[in-house]
Amino acid sequence: MTEIKNYEIVTPGTLLSENGEGGEGTYTEGKKVFSKFLGTVQVYDNRISVSPMTSSYIPHEGDNVIGRIIEVSTKYWGVDIDAPYYTRLDSRDVNFRTEIGELDKYLALGDLIYARVFRIYANNSADVSMRGSNFGKLESNRVSKINISRIPRLIGKEGSMINMIKEMTGCEVLVGQNGVVWVNGPEDGKAAALAAVKFIDENYMNQNMVESVRRLLENVRGKV
Amino acid sequence: MYEERFDKRGFDELRPMEAETGIIPNAKGSARFRIGNTEAIAAVYGPEEVKPKHFEKVDKGIIMCKYDMLPFSVPDRAKPGMDRRDMEISDVITNALNRAVILEEFPRSMITVRVYVTQADAGTRCASLTAASMACADAGLPMRDLVAAVAAGKIGDSICLDLTKEEEDFHEGGATDVPIGFLPSKNEIVLLQLDGKVTKEELSRIVEMGKLGAMKIYELEKSVLQGRFSNESKS
Repeated sequence: MTEIKNYEIVTPGTLLSENGEGGEGTYTEGKKVFSKFLGTVQVYDNRISVSPMTSSYIPHEGDNVIGRIIEVSTKYWGVDIDAPYYTRLDSRDVNFRTEIGELDKYLALGDLIYARVFRIYANNSADVSMRGSNFGKLESNRVSKINISRIPRLIGKEGSMINMIKEMTGCEVLVGQNGVVWVNGPEDGKAAALAAVKFIDENYMNQNMVESVRRLLENVRGKV
Repeated sequence: MYEERFDKRGFDELRPMEAETGIIPNAKGSARFRIGNTEAIAAVYGPEEVKPKHFEKVDKGIIMCKYDMLPFSVPDRAKPGMDRRDMEISDVITNALNRAVILEEFPRSMITVRVYVTQADAGTRCASLTAASMACADAGLPMRDLVAAVAAGKIGDSICLDLTKEEEDFHEGGATDVPIGFLPSKNEIVLLQLDGKVTKEELSRIVEMGKLGAMKIYELEKSVLQGRFSNESKS
């Protein structure tokens, strides 16, 4: 059997090791470790893990997410956070006073919110909460989606990539852990920032990403 | 007697194959698989909320698969929509994928798989299953293995791999068609149907030949799925 190298691309069912320890993205049958995803291999000593190329968002407690209001009820809002399960925002879990029965005065259909997943029920539906000063309604409606396995590339080492996008476009950029990216700022800056997000989503395997995104942002800003 | 195949292939040779992934931007994952004149495209959506609700399972997700032959795929126009044959094939593809995809990771959710046959020349259920499994891998679903499916069979007295429509309709001696779905690295059969008449000993020879053919399809699937990402890094 050939030895699996670091950063090698594997398909589901590939035999990774015959007596190793399976990490994330792998499953074991007896002593054999197999890949579970189409993704890249990471080898640490004896431990092998696979990080998928694409993945779906499954909510966990403590995730900070960006969601869209899709339902207004008398006591709660229904929120779309791009997960396969139903998500609610209760009228008591917001950082402003509400009056029951008039919830659309505060958050109407289609509004964007930044919130935290704070409870997962046994049936997998989730509750989000806006308590806390850093959560709330988002004013601009310009959002883009990025696959959640590519968020680390968008943020970069110690936030280098996201800070560069913020500086060069003069925009605020907020990344939810569910893969929704919200931007606010001058009109041309927003377009440039969203173009950069799209570029990273499509070309995330590139080597010197910071340099190509810098070039992209300079070009886009020159044209707008 | 059937001594030489109509298209001059060897008895254990597959028709020329071609595959591609990521062809449908709106789908989570998609793939196109062509073998000879048979071509299938598959799209995977989800996981999403289960609808209708009573299909929901509390401990695992479900796969909803629909197979459809497009009207222009066969010489006589195929009536659009699901007929009894389409429903049967949808079911066998769902059963095969249930074994390949690790559904326990998405409880109470649904994965939608749509497969369309754009050209049919026998072996459509195998081409569809191969395309569907590639689309599932492209969508980033956790899987035990990729499914490689191929039809094998007996024409006259000879055992053949990957039958065409012309061969399936062979009259002298009759033709038997055995579609096989295979998880190559698990050595596990997930689809086995038989249409015709064979002895027990012949059937095991047909299955052995089908497994060898499936291995070639598996190699193609792997190289296409890996190649998509290494090409992106070059551009």
